Amino acid sequence: MTIRKYIALMRAGIMESLHFRLGTAVTLFANLIYLVLVYFLWKAVYASSGVDVVNGMTFNDTMIYLILATALFNFLEMFVVWDMSRSIQSGKIILDLLKPMSFRTYTFWSYSGSHVAQFVLAFIPTFIVVMIVTKGAIPMGLNLLWFLISVVFALVVNFSIEILVATICLYTESTWGVNIVKETIVLVLSGASIPLAFFPDSIRTVISWLPFRAIYDIPLQVLLEKGGSDTWLGLAKMYGMQLGWCVILYIAGILFWNHAVKRITVNGG
Amino acid sequence: MSKKRGLKFYLSIYRKILVQDLKSKMSYRADFVISTIGMIMTNLAGFVTFIVLFHNFPTINGWDLNHMLFLYGFSLIALTPVQCFFDNNWNLRSMVYSGDFIKYCFRPVNVFFYFMSEVFDVKGLGQFAFGIATLVYAWAKIGIPVTFITVAQAVLFLLTASLFMIAMMNVAAATCFWIQGSGYVMVIMFRFKDFAKYPASIFNEVFKAIFTFVIPIAFVAYYPSLVLLQPDEVPLLTWLSPLIGLVFFFLSYAVWMLGVRKYDFTGS
Amino acid sequence: MSQEAIVMENLCKDFKVLNRHEGLKGSIRDLFSRDYKTISAVKDVTVTVNRGEIVGYLGPNGAGKSTTIKMMTGVLEPTSGKILVNGLVPYKDRTKNCENIGVVFGQRSQLWWSLPLIESFKLLRDLYMVPQKDYEEMIELYRSLVDIEPVLHKTVRQMSLGQRTLSDILAAFLHNPGIVFLDEPTIGLDVSMKSKIRDLILGLNREKKTTVILTTHDMGDVDALCKRIIIIDKGRRIYDNDIEHLKSYFGSYRTLRVRLDNKDEWEETLIDEKTTDVMTVITEYQKSHKVKDIQLQEISTEEVIKKLYEGGTK
Repeated sequence: MTIRKYIALMRAGIMESLHFRLGTAVTLFANLIYLVLVYFLWKAVYASSGVDVVNGMTFNDTMIYLILATALFNFLEMFVVWDMSRSIQSGKIILDLLKPMSFRTYTFWSYSGSHVAQFVLAFIPTFIVVMIVTKGAIPMGLNLLWFLISVVFALVVNFSIEILVATICLYTESTWGVNIVKETIVLVLSGASIPLAFFPDSIRTVISWLPFRAIYDIPLQVLLEKGGSDTWLGLAKMYGMQLGWCVILYIAGILFWNHAVKRITVNGG
Repeated sequence: MSKKRGLKFYLSIYRKILVQDLKSKMSYRADFVISTIGMIMTNLAGFVTFIVLFHNFPTINGWDLNHMLFLYGFSLIALTPVQCFFDNNWNLRSMVYSGDFIKYCFRPVNVFFYFMSEVFDVKGLGQFAFGIATLVYAWAKIGIPVTFITVAQAVLFLLTASLFMIAMMNVAAATCFWIQGSGYVMVIMFRFKDFAKYPASIFNEVFKAIFTFVIPIAFVAYYPSLVLLQPDEVPLLTWLSPLIGLVFFFLSYAVWMLGVRKYDFTGS
Repeated sequence: MSQEAIVMENLCKDFKVLNRHEGLKGSIRDLFSRDYKTISAVKDVTVTVNRGEIVGYLGPNGAGKSTTIKMMTGVLEPTSGKILVNGLVPYKDRTKNCENIGVVFGQRSQLWWSLPLIESFKLLRDLYMVPQKDYEEMIELYRSLVDIEPVLHKTVRQMSLGQRTLSDILAAFLHNPGIVFLDEPTIGLDVSMKSKIRDLILGLNREKKTTVILTTHDMGDVDALCKRIIIIDKGRRIYDNDIEHLKSYFGSYRTLRVRLDNKDEWEETLIDEKTTDVMTVITEYQKSHKVKDIQLQEISTEEVIKKLYEGGTK
């Protein structure tokens, strides 16, 4: 009964994504150019270093990691913070709060539609191209399944962070500032702009305990069977890490949201 | 009967709008503080990424840390004008779709000017300071002489470089007039700028040409800064860059205005 | 300067839109489809408006009203036909045309959102290069017509909808344009604010001889402001004449209200006096019941318009 409602939202999300056909093509093209930039930069970097393996990563490893991270980045892109600030400015937020389905649930399911569309339209083609070009550098086995599961966790972690940050907008009007801080932190600390393997050890230890790793680094490690994810224990550890953050961030999100909503209802928006 | 509106008119209008805008911004101090922190953090993050890279690889294509820092600072300064004066491009898409954009077409002034005049982004100044500091540090470390000529060259070529990023963002923003769901183009174009701080010599011939003449990120730092970094063998493109910059800026403006004319304003 | 403020001859505007299909499958199909269709928003419209007139420009939703307004303001280029506003071709001389027009677009404020109104006024004064003397005179005129003190130092952000509309109208007249376009200026306003705004528009039209083109769905606006109305439907002009004439356009309609002895409520019948005699209807009523009370009313503009929209051209 209720699940049908969610599926309907998801379906609408998929349709909306397909609606912008030229937009989709342009996005793919822009990504391609971005990847060309990444390719040349790291090629030059490795060529100047004179060695093949740096911090356990070969040039191929780094490229696969960064390309897939970029593809994941598109796939996980959400504008919850902007949606929220717009709905606050227009006063629509009051309606959102009154809706039978909570703002959080509604947002999650309508975005999941665009996630599915993006996954099929952007991630899978990128993945296939990388697979063919690197000729078997990506292991093809159960790891694909583990990766998919890990991506779902990543999605939830990412969404929870978005919601937490969007909630801040109920306190301050500074959407841009709040959003840019979030984006910067996530991009750097999740391994989306530079593989975490390149960070100095001490910093890496700190980063490994933060939630941002769960978004890009863990799914990619799982996919590439790196970082110990090829053993059951290693895989369990990574899942545990993701799941733990899912729970913590989800609860934190609810508590913070409720606190913020109470403030709105008290102050009358 | 008709009134003439020249450069003087536009400058004075811009100044007046700017003053009013700053006045009203003062009343949102929290926003200003948070945005500034955000700006500083992005710059710090970019810097950290840069340092982490050099921690693993001491040179890139024969460029050492100081020369790379020079490019880095140069690109940050060159990116300031687009951040400060053309930031309203980011709002174009939502305004076009909601139909609110139409209000810019009812005034007897240039639409592009009127639209851009509405937002002056103070945060860009933080980036500017960051860029200046980096550039001065690298300048001193490399030991480029400080003469009237070198400083004048720096100013001229920084201005030149800034035109290219403005042009790129104008075109990226203007795509929304033709293509629905093109919001990502701006996001990725803005990410391209992160590659402006690397020497264009890392590309092969084909892509070097593309990143010089199609998506001109090589002009945001690399070519213009060669006038100071390699004063003995300045490439022709460096000398031509002010001219090319003007051409790019004008083309992007033409595309933007064409979008306004062609768009049918059905959003309502 | 010529007598005509606006001249439109055989004006047409077409749009090309993608033919979209329904459902998830349809969305996937649309991804590759090149199935476009042409929609004619405005068809062959010919209208002349003289200086100083207040003209009601009416039509059901999607009839092509705002497309026409957008062509008159120079935002859209017509597909074919001739258009002159203050003697200029609007889309060719957009900036020049804008100097002599003012526009208020419904609930969409064109003022600087976070500036006090007086600062917006000063910026507009500079933007339109209005001489200081004229500007001060205009502000004085405003003061005499409406109480502007409460809004003058407020930012648009802080204003109520009524105050915002009022401010937008004042801003549209500030540079004393020849023509002002008002698109649904009273939408969403309360009764007292509506009448305040109507009085203001009338006052400004009287003092400044400004031509006003008013689009609205509120017949109260039409009755209060317009002598002449133009109605378009599905892109075509279907009526252009006096508001008085409108009432007899489809025949002489009047509403007969009778109260019969078995009920307390009034029963209403719309009668076309050209085809039916009022007395016949009354006699018909009397056959079944005793008539306690009779009233004969002129048809309201609202009802005529309703008939017009529903029935289209006859």
